[in-house]
Amino acid sequence: MLLWILIAAMTAAASLAILVPLSRRRTADQQTPTPAADEAVYRQQLDEIDRDLERGLIDRTAADAARTEIARRLLAANERREAEAPRHQSTVSLRTGQALAILALPAFALGLYIFLGSPNLPDQPLSARLEAPTENQTVEELVARVERHLADNPEDGQGWAVIAPVYMSLGNPQASARAYANVIRLLGPTVERVTDMGEAMTMANDGIVSASARSAFERAVGMDPTAVKPRFFLALALGQEGKTDEAIAAWETLLEGADPREPWVPVARAELERLGGTPPTLAETLRGPSREDMDAAAQMSAEDRQAMIAGMVEGLAARLQSEGGSPAEWQRLVRAYAVMGEPDKAHAALRQARDAFGTDQAALGQINATARELGLTVP
Amino acid sequence: MIVELGHYALVLAFALTLIQSVVPVWGAVRENERLMAVAPPVSIAMFFLVLLSFTALTIAYLNSDFSVQNVWENSHSAKPLVYKITGVWGNHEGSLLLWALILVFFGALVGYFGTNLPAPLRAATLGVQGWVTAGFLLFMLSTSNPFNRIPNPPAEGNDLNPLLQDIGLAIHPPLLYVGYVGFSITFSFAVAALILGRIDAAWARWVRPWTLLAWCFLTLGISMGSYWAYYELGWGGWWFWDPVENASFMPWLAGTALLHSAIVMEKRDALKVWTILLAIFTFSLSLLGTFLVRSGVLTSVHAFATDPARGVFILVLLCLFIGGSLSLFAWRAPLLKQGGLFAPISREGALVFNNLFLTAACAAVLVGTLYPLALDAVTGEKISVGPPFFNLTFGPLMIPLLMAVPYGPILAWKRGDLLAASQRLYAAFGLSILLTLFTFWLWGMEKVLAPLGVGLAVWVMAGAVAEIVTRVKLTEVGLARGFARLKGLPGSAWGTATAHFGIGVTALGIVASSAFQEEKVLTMAPGDTVNVSGYAVTFDGAAPRQGPNYIEDVGHFTVRQAGVVIAELDPSKRLYPARQMPTTEAGIHTLILSQIYVSLGEPRDTGAIDVRIYYKPLITLIWIGTLFMALGAVFSMADRRLRVGAPKPAARRKAVPQAAPAE
Repeated sequence: MLLWILIAAMTAAASLAILVPLSRRRTADQQTPTPAADEAVYRQQLDEIDRDLERGLIDRTAADAARTEIARRLLAANERREAEAPRHQSTVSLRTGQALAILALPAFALGLYIFLGSPNLPDQPLSARLEAPTENQTVEELVARVERHLADNPEDGQGWAVIAPVYMSLGNPQASARAYANVIRLLGPTVERVTDMGEAMTMANDGIVSASARSAFERAVGMDPTAVKPRFFLALALGQEGKTDEAIAAWETLLEGADPREPWVPVARAELERLGGTPPTLAETLRGPSREDMDAAAQMSAEDRQAMIAGMVEGLAARLQSEGGSPAEWQRLVRAYAVMGEPDKAHAALRQARDAFGTDQAALGQINATARELGLTVP
Repeated sequence: MIVELGHYALVLAFALTLIQSVVPVWGAVRENERLMAVAPPVSIAMFFLVLLSFTALTIAYLNSDFSVQNVWENSHSAKPLVYKITGVWGNHEGSLLLWALILVFFGALVGYFGTNLPAPLRAATLGVQGWVTAGFLLFMLSTSNPFNRIPNPPAEGNDLNPLLQDIGLAIHPPLLYVGYVGFSITFSFAVAALILGRIDAAWARWVRPWTLLAWCFLTLGISMGSYWAYYELGWGGWWFWDPVENASFMPWLAGTALLHSAIVMEKRDALKVWTILLAIFTFSLSLLGTFLVRSGVLTSVHAFATDPARGVFILVLLCLFIGGSLSLFAWRAPLLKQGGLFAPISREGALVFNNLFLTAACAAVLVGTLYPLALDAVTGEKISVGPPFFNLTFGPLMIPLLMAVPYGPILAWKRGDLLAASQRLYAAFGLSILLTLFTFWLWGMEKVLAPLGVGLAVWVMAGAVAEIVTRVKLTEVGLARGFARLKGLPGSAWGTATAHFGIGVTALGIVASSAFQEEKVLTMAPGDTVNVSGYAVTFDGAAPRQGPNYIEDVGHFTVRQAGVVIAELDPSKRLYPARQMPTTEAGIHTLILSQIYVSLGEPRDTGAIDVRIYYKPLITLIWIGTLFMALGAVFSMADRRLRVGAPKPAARRKAVPQAAPAE
């Protein structure tokens, strides 16, 4: 709003700059004396000649000649002024001028500005953008903010820990690897940190496991021999190095007893097949409705089917309550309640899920994503 | 909001220029007082609007507001404050805004101070200035708008070209622009005079302070640019005949001729054709320079924009302004009656001689600049016209001109006496011969031409002093009275003498530094010492160093004279990683007027490094001379006869008849 007020004020001032001189009636006395201006110049020149003569810069004959010349110009200027009759001041052009100032100028300026400008876009000074509430900031701004903070406090391990996975998801594995290295240096190594650093290094290297990444994975396995992710990358490395037999063995050990729904499993199976091994058949480890249940549900009436689904959902809920479960299972439960039109239960399940994964950021992220997708408010 | 306000101010200023282009000019032609009266307030309103616009952009730079595309492209939040400000004009759009600001600034100056001008001339001049401004604002708004926005701005900007991150570049462009663009007002005066058909001696007097002002700034701007090239480019040269340098030098040559030609027109009502044409060409050459720099025809530090659409737009503007003003000239040519007659040997004759040589020199530079471009456009063949061409064309033209300089102010108007004038210059002539012989004795047959060059420079300087001495007849009236008369001399006399003296000083610097410089190009290991013109320069070693946004290799040198340490120099080679650009920083030690200049080349694996060491005698005189020239312009402007009227019409009218106090 203030913008428009100021724009209006500026336009008004500009119009006045035209209107005021147009409407000011000048008396004969106030008129700028046109020919008098050049007469003044010639008079000064005459004085100059006198001074030059007095100083002896020119001799008398030259001075006389010059004086005659200037006097002639002075006379001509004088005659011109005498001859000049006061002109009739056309009111038509005055009216045109006023119309230009009042109508054409604002219309033209505003029209052009609306065409070119972005009046709805506020100023966005960097400092204000970085101080704005977190919710209103884009990921890039948040990153810039953390980067600024880290530039000032490079010893803040938590800061590096926050930004490292963000770099990864923004497609900047080099920066991510550097950040993980800082996390490990400042907060000490854990299996996850060392593995994630190795992963970032591998991504930065176009998927080829370099020697340094490899040593990171080996270090992770040294800390936890059962960890899946570092072993996955080590198997990959073996394949890349051409040690086919060792690679096949590594993949087979890895796939032993693995949950087929894990995202890495299909990759591992494909890799194993490529190397010439036979991927093991995997048991369904995640309990769900069996084929018989599904067929039965298809033949039931609507009410019965609803009852059956409700029963299954209650079963899932009860099991998760007592035994706990994976994020995927909690997501399924929340989704089921939402689809069944029971938002209260969905919210309750959501809260329980969040309690269950209190500190696991990755799991919370997945659950929150589902909640958002379903339009549930995340507390 | 500030950004958008700035944008609107620019648009509104453009709307005003359209009115300014029509209403006052129409009023001047129809002699309608009220229509003419519109021009001064509108010119001032335009100035404030463009100033607001410029301020808004500057604020956006200071705040790192990357929602403005121009800021995002050319700034970085970590850049030092001073480069955030200079970054405003360190790019195409921003520098155009500075162009426009100076255009309207000169318009506002004429609008505010031009009360001694006849109303029609003032109105028409401001109207023509409005045409030029309209052309440039349209150019900005249509192809190079600095206020384009980005709705979802990135978090960090692209930074400024590292070569431009230098304090010299903070001062050089504004100075140069004030000069460059300042000639727009003399152009407007000339076109206005052509429109009104009133081209006389009084016109020349009114234009003179504006020409002087623009010329003064242009001189300083070129000089600054030259010194920057000298210490930043690392080759020890101070002028490269680079097309962009030429683009600023050509308006200077034409402007210098204009300045002299206008004197004749003012005093004798003669040389009108010369003066009007020079006024048109000086600004046209400024526009040509802008075209060369902005169209992408040239590649250099200055070539911010390499967008063909922009080049075509400026070319069209160029053709419109030059073609339009020349057609107007052709139409009004019959009005340009020859005023006073004069003999060839006279002050007028000397100034015609000066005009001829300056324009010929300007034409030589123009050919040398445009010929390679034309050849490339026509045949596709790439050639480069370098210093040899200019030294062979420009140099010989300057020699007779410098020889004639002392005669100009001493010859009488109308019919001069060469013999009498020579008698007044006996002392100057004697001094220059003496110094020629002295230089010859110092250097012997080794350098034959150099002593003559020194003699020529001394001749010009001594001639300038002789002019003042003979003007006050110091030798005849004695010191006491002579001194009193010195004070009484008009400012323009002091201006002439000072500027001419400056020419001599610059010439001396050029001759001495190029003829007697000693250059050593060698590879030095740490501990090595090399002797340059009696100074022992020791290389102590090199070390890498981390700057705020660059890394550099710094060499450390100690300069000793007869075993005594007189200076320590730290030249460096920098690399700006953001743009992968190397720059060199020369180490310079100034010994009163001479300089020792050390510049680093490539480092060798052994710890040794390639080094260029120069001893440049009297080199600072080149730039000191330009200061004298600018000072001369200031003296001339201070001449009370030229003083533009203060904006108090009532008081002024009474003052005019008495405005010729006995000095």
